[in-house]
Amino acid sequence: MRLIGVDVGGTFTDGVLYDTGTAELRRAKASSTPGEPWRGVLAVIDQLGVDMGNVDRFVHGVTIGTNAILERKGAAVWLITTAGFRDVLEIARTNRSKLYDIKALKPAPLVPRERVIEVDERLFADGSVCRPLRKEDVETVAAVLGKAGADAVAVCLLHSYTDARHERIVADALDRALPGCFRSLSSDVLPEMREYERAATTVLNSYIGPLTRNYLGALEEQLAGRGYRRPVFIMNSAGGVETARRAARFPVHTVLSGPAGGVAAGLHLGAALGYRNLITYDMGGTSTDVCLIRDGIVPVTGEQFIAEQPNRTPQIEINSVGAGGGSLAWIDDGDILRVGPHSAGAHPGPACYGRGGTAPTVTDANVMLGRLSAGLRLAGSVALDGRLADAAVASLASRLPGLTPDEAAEGIVRIAVARMVTAIKEISIGRGHDPRDFVLVAYGGAGPMHAAAIAAELEIATVVVPPGPGNFSAFGALISDLRHDHVRTRLLRLAEARLDAIEAGFAAMEEAARKDLLDEGVAAERIVFRRGLGMRYLGQSWDLPVDLPAGLGSIAAIEELFHARHLERFGYRGRNPVEIVSFRLAAIGRVDQPAAVANGAAPAAAAPAHRPVRFDGRTVRASVHERERLMPGQRIAGPAIIEEMGAVTVVPPGWSCRQGSSGELLIERNRT
Amino acid sequence: MRATVDRITLEVVCEALVAVVREMRASIIRASYSSAIYELDDFSCALFDPQAQMVAQSEDHPGHVMPMPWSVKCAMEDFAGDIKPGDLILLNDAYRGGTHLNDVTLLYPVHDAGELTIFPSVRAHWADVGGMTPGSYSGLATSIFQEGLRIPPIKLYEDGRPNRAAHKLIEANMRLPDERTGDLEAMVGACRVAERRIRELFAKYGRDVVLVCIRENLDRSERRMRERIRALPDGVYVAEDYLEYYDEGRFDPVLMRLALTKRGDSIVADFAGSNPQVPGVVNSSLAVAGAGVFVALKSTLDPGGAVNSGVFRPIALKAPEASIVDVRPDAPAGAHGEVRKRAVSVMLGCLAQMVPDLVSGDLCGTSFPNSIGGRNRARDRSYVYVEVPAGGNGGFAEADGSSAYVNVDFGNIRSIHNAESIENEMPLLVERSALRTDTGGPGRRRGGLGMRRQVRLLDGEAVYSVLGDRAVIPPFGVGGAGSAGHLSVSIERGNSEHRFKTPGKVTGHRIRADDSVVMESAGGGGYGDPLEREPDLVRRDVIAGLVSLAQSRTAYGVVIGAGDAVDGAATARLRQELKAARVHLPVVVDERDPYEGIKGRHRTLRLSPASAQRIGAAEGDLIELLGRHPVPLRAWVKLDPAQQSSAPLDAFARQALGVDAGDSVELRRLDMPAAVRMPAQAAE
Repeated sequence: MRLIGVDVGGTFTDGVLYDTGTAELRRAKASSTPGEPWRGVLAVIDQLGVDMGNVDRFVHGVTIGTNAILERKGAAVWLITTAGFRDVLEIARTNRSKLYDIKALKPAPLVPRERVIEVDERLFADGSVCRPLRKEDVETVAAVLGKAGADAVAVCLLHSYTDARHERIVADALDRALPGCFRSLSSDVLPEMREYERAATTVLNSYIGPLTRNYLGALEEQLAGRGYRRPVFIMNSAGGVETARRAARFPVHTVLSGPAGGVAAGLHLGAALGYRNLITYDMGGTSTDVCLIRDGIVPVTGEQFIAEQPNRTPQIEINSVGAGGGSLAWIDDGDILRVGPHSAGAHPGPACYGRGGTAPTVTDANVMLGRLSAGLRLAGSVALDGRLADAAVASLASRLPGLTPDEAAEGIVRIAVARMVTAIKEISIGRGHDPRDFVLVAYGGAGPMHAAAIAAELEIATVVVPPGPGNFSAFGALISDLRHDHVRTRLLRLAEARLDAIEAGFAAMEEAARKDLLDEGVAAERIVFRRGLGMRYLGQSWDLPVDLPAGLGSIAAIEELFHARHLERFGYRGRNPVEIVSFRLAAIGRVDQPAAVANGAAPAAAAPAHRPVRFDGRTVRASVHERERLMPGQRIAGPAIIEEMGAVTVVPPGWSCRQGSSGELLIERNRT
Repeated sequence: MRATVDRITLEVVCEALVAVVREMRASIIRASYSSAIYELDDFSCALFDPQAQMVAQSEDHPGHVMPMPWSVKCAMEDFAGDIKPGDLILLNDAYRGGTHLNDVTLLYPVHDAGELTIFPSVRAHWADVGGMTPGSYSGLATSIFQEGLRIPPIKLYEDGRPNRAAHKLIEANMRLPDERTGDLEAMVGACRVAERRIRELFAKYGRDVVLVCIRENLDRSERRMRERIRALPDGVYVAEDYLEYYDEGRFDPVLMRLALTKRGDSIVADFAGSNPQVPGVVNSSLAVAGAGVFVALKSTLDPGGAVNSGVFRPIALKAPEASIVDVRPDAPAGAHGEVRKRAVSVMLGCLAQMVPDLVSGDLCGTSFPNSIGGRNRARDRSYVYVEVPAGGNGGFAEADGSSAYVNVDFGNIRSIHNAESIENEMPLLVERSALRTDTGGPGRRRGGLGMRRQVRLLDGEAVYSVLGDRAVIPPFGVGGAGSAGHLSVSIERGNSEHRFKTPGKVTGHRIRADDSVVMESAGGGGYGDPLEREPDLVRRDVIAGLVSLAQSRTAYGVVIGAGDAVDGAATARLRQELKAARVHLPVVVDERDPYEGIKGRHRTLRLSPASAQRIGAAEGDLIELLGRHPVPLRAWVKLDPAQQSSAPLDAFARQALGVDAGDSVELRRLDMPAAVRMPAQAAE
């Protein structure tokens, strides 16, 4: 089988080709093409040099929707609500997440008040009709939207998670009046109680809907044109993959598509090396994503926010910072040097790319410090011009009295590192974990360059740089299983439940899920299910998900599992009867995992070159190595620079580096 | 010997303590039974040391966590030297560091090697603690015994064993006792989780290292706060405001007064001159009023710094005994949120004189708890609905205030449920949840809008109670801005509307199926002169429906013509007219006591009938005076034919307004609800 993983970042598009037969792994990198990201994808496919007709699986990490949300450049969404609830987004939950600030402002919703339309209808909580929805009202609304030329609509009516009939009536009218309009129903996107969060998530889906749908459509067409005959798969935010067709309906699932691949790859590498506590650190051109994996478990939540909007779909817990190699350095009105969040992006890119950028970036600073080699070819077409980097940094330094250009360059890098450190502290120290108990896995084009400096600040002892760090997220997309998470709300007192009824409930869900996976091309023997029950004590509001073992055993055993989990999580064993709230099923289509990820070519030992590199205000002579030519087990003492396609690893003075058995670099602080 | 710690360890330990609090919070939300806790986040967790210093908190309710050290101190005093491992202490005493009786606090002492160390505590809002109405909110209570079961610090567990007598007494005196037991279990459980984490920290870093980190953290927090205070101009600043009290049904506002003395790097907040306590809900403890002082100070001077007992050290509080800010038995204390918020209002009045750029217009000024209690026949269970619909926030130099957004003293709590959650649990239907047009105080920066929440009873009978304020005296604007819309409640039955004779305060009003309760929260005060607001911003507010066409003219002087465009020439003319129509009177010194009232005290202003007529005011009408200082002074008109065309002011008023004899003040009439008449009029 030939598998391709492609990840589109803000600056570069990365690809990986893996042949399960020969265990060969190929990598490629091209400049990203904002606006038409599929062009970058095709450029990567060209570089991989493979006949798409022979590719069995194409998996893609997308960021087009995420960027649109972060930059607030999504569609002009219209929201349709139940009468009386026009302000569902404006009012939100009325809470103030920024405490002790009299000037804190409520986040503005993605749909302004003028684009919210009420329809006269109402369901009761049990799904029965309080006020029927009149066809003519719906037609009127559809006509208004048609006249306004709406290209994205979200529909969220009260209690539609219980009964979607009114939302369906609205949908039919919209589809007739506005063909081509991207339309989301809250009963499809998030069939769960709580109208504010459901409406906001549904709006997010429509906000990035037209953009994502058009992009995926264009991509599928291009790939088909090159002979690809299988479904296109998309990495989703929860760390699984789903078909492009599904992702185009539910683009909100892809909000963390890009970073999720890297986390999956980090987990895979950690398992190979025997590390169960990892902090993944993915620094690309425009942003950085960090995730904390404890005891080999990737944290998944349904309670994150993006650009201050709730997104209740399942997602890996990832902390993102708007700073990467392409982040611009600038001087604020208080004469303080700052880095990011604005980025030079792919065009013009850092000054040293020679594409017309003149403002200094983190990458330019690294060139000036000698950490990135002038003349190095980062990705196929990009060669670094040292003079342009120097000029850009020098012009900034000239506006900072008393600072030499070298000092300014070092300052830029240190500020970028400080931002990464803060992001990692938030997910480690901020949640009660000591970063010193973790290994830092550094990847992305700019990750390995700054990893040792970050580890030094946090007193992390070991940094792992995987093989192909610039393509690691793409690699992660390729090894991730297909995964659909299903939740069915069903209230049932445990004492009154029968084991065979529970079994039948799961069996029905599994049958539907199996059909989906078979339709997506998963072989029957590769389908795996994981069952869980959401349970609570009678009178509680939230249910606690409990994973079930393969055989259900007995009702008493299920109850005991819940008591134990509740005691562990909440510190007590309740006395009230236990109630089942939801059946939870993860339907997984397993994929082949590459056993080892060593580099393809056999290494030939080479004498290192040397060049001057600046660390801590001093210029020192650093050895310079080509990563492909390192021998297994070879040790390199810092200061050293290790170069490869798409990334550069920096080993500072006082640190050393070793090539490990799976092709990874292990960077550790020297014992004193 | 004193352990020393490096910078990383200090940060790791301090953050780990905050992480313990976060974990407690997550645990409570998921495991509790009161929807006020699991849906609204109306609870707080914190860690304390044996000296009753709060050493860590997180996204916790400022109105809870500020008074908590007082509770801990009281408990420590009561059980001096008699707290053993396995003793758990419960309390809700509003007179001793409690807030209102619904806020029940659990202290969970943790011992290490026989010594009391840092320990967790939870304060959570129980949906009911007994008393005269379901939900225990009773706007018209006259003694604390009507507000619920009062629990002084007692040992709920001794030596690890539950005190059955205590548990039984609590269960017997509250509605929905099984829910209360569940809440209590959730609180104990969260503390157990915290104990486990604290012991892990001790094991990992050593107890001494942890304690050194705590001390250093408190000290550095104190230093940071002192630096901010030092930057303020030294001086004494005064302000006054009111809470709304009804004496046997007659409106009788009570006075809150504050003198803020700033010298060097410390501050004294003195409530001297504030009203003696009244047999109504608008009393609370100095712990609560002090929370208002602290929140106002921190939120204007130092958003972003840590919150722990170190930060409180530079601030000293003073108050007259048995006053509305230092309540004693047996006065009720249900309106703790209103007392705290009014303390924020008078603090804004003082701070506006020191740092006008850092303050905002007045906040909506009330927590606005509404409760509906009845029986859910379908589920054969009683229910208590509680919502506290958020109002507006004040505008400030850089932006309009946010609408329907909890005030800064309320932390991260949610003031409303999702309608779907309510309707799944109770025979209620949420009919409307909408912003209230025109309720934002007009200003160069507009105040935020209040909201309208309308809930219909679907089945059976129920009782409705509310405890609100700012239903008569609206939130004020700053720097010439206008007041915000009042809070309002009413009942719709068919086509008729029932309004209450005691606006904002209702106890146990019976409603029946199909009645609809309309709850409308107040707006926030504006900031700066509304006639200086950019006309295009007014136009946009009109298009969004936040400001009506009528208000755009009367308050902002903006004329919007054809095609929703601003008519520039007409706007300039109208603004000139409105400016010219403002009424100014010269200030004269008059040191006669201006305050009147039955049990309350409200400022009167003697005006000649001609002066009163110029602002359209009659005897007993509410007016405000604007001087040099940014915050207005409120008073009620007393017609006095002997008065010249002048505004007679006592020394306090002149100091609050920043005016002297010969200066002029602007006068504006403010609307009060029709049902309200001043005591002097009522007596006639």
